[in-house]
Amino acid sequence: MYKHPYLRAYLAGIAIPTAFLLAIMTAYTIDRYVYDMPVPIERVIVFPMAAVPNAWGLWNLIFVAFLQKRHIPLGLFGGALPLLLVPGGYLVARLLNFTIPPVAFQVVPIGLPIALIVYYLVWKYFVGFLNAELGIA
Amino acid sequence: MSDREIEEMKKLAKEALPALRDAELGRDLWPAMVERLSTQRSGMPWWDWVLLAGASAGILFVPGVIPALLYHL
Repeated sequence: MYKHPYLRAYLAGIAIPTAFLLAIMTAYTIDRYVYDMPVPIERVIVFPMAAVPNAWGLWNLIFVAFLQKRHIPLGLFGGALPLLLVPGGYLVARLLNFTIPPVAFQVVPIGLPIALIVYYLVWKYFVGFLNAELGIA
Repeated sequence: MSDREIEEMKKLAKEALPALRDAELGRDLWPAMVERLSTQRSGMPWWDWVLLAGASAGILFVPGVIPALLYHL
């Protein structure tokens, strides 16, 4: 049980967004192909499908490897992840010539604090639970 | 090692390690353990409930943030 703690940290980190991806893909498929949503999200879907889960896994690995011994709260560390993901998502969208809807920029002042809170709670309770279950907390 | 040496070793070990006195516990530790386990199930602190309520209200009043949240989660 005490072997490969970093592998377990990575797996615990990617578990939540990977499971949540099912809901995202279902919502996206319904919106795009049932209701003919005119936004071609498939051009940037690689970001939530690949980049975000791996970022969660690496973020949890960094926490277990370096920060847990210094008693830094997991919720605060995980809550800081949107500060990297939001610019990363914007960069991916720009690199892939995805036209970001103007409403997205209008909701940033409200959306960013909400994202920070959601991430804080999810990391504190869900990722923390998985870390404890896998013996790395 | 011969039997005589083993007996000698036992004798030396007994001399070096005095017999325990009052080895029994003075009190039952289980009730304290149960109390400690029950206090650890306190759940979420109040400030996390406040944050959850604030985030829920934000999503409810500004549903435009939902696609952005889904994109980054």
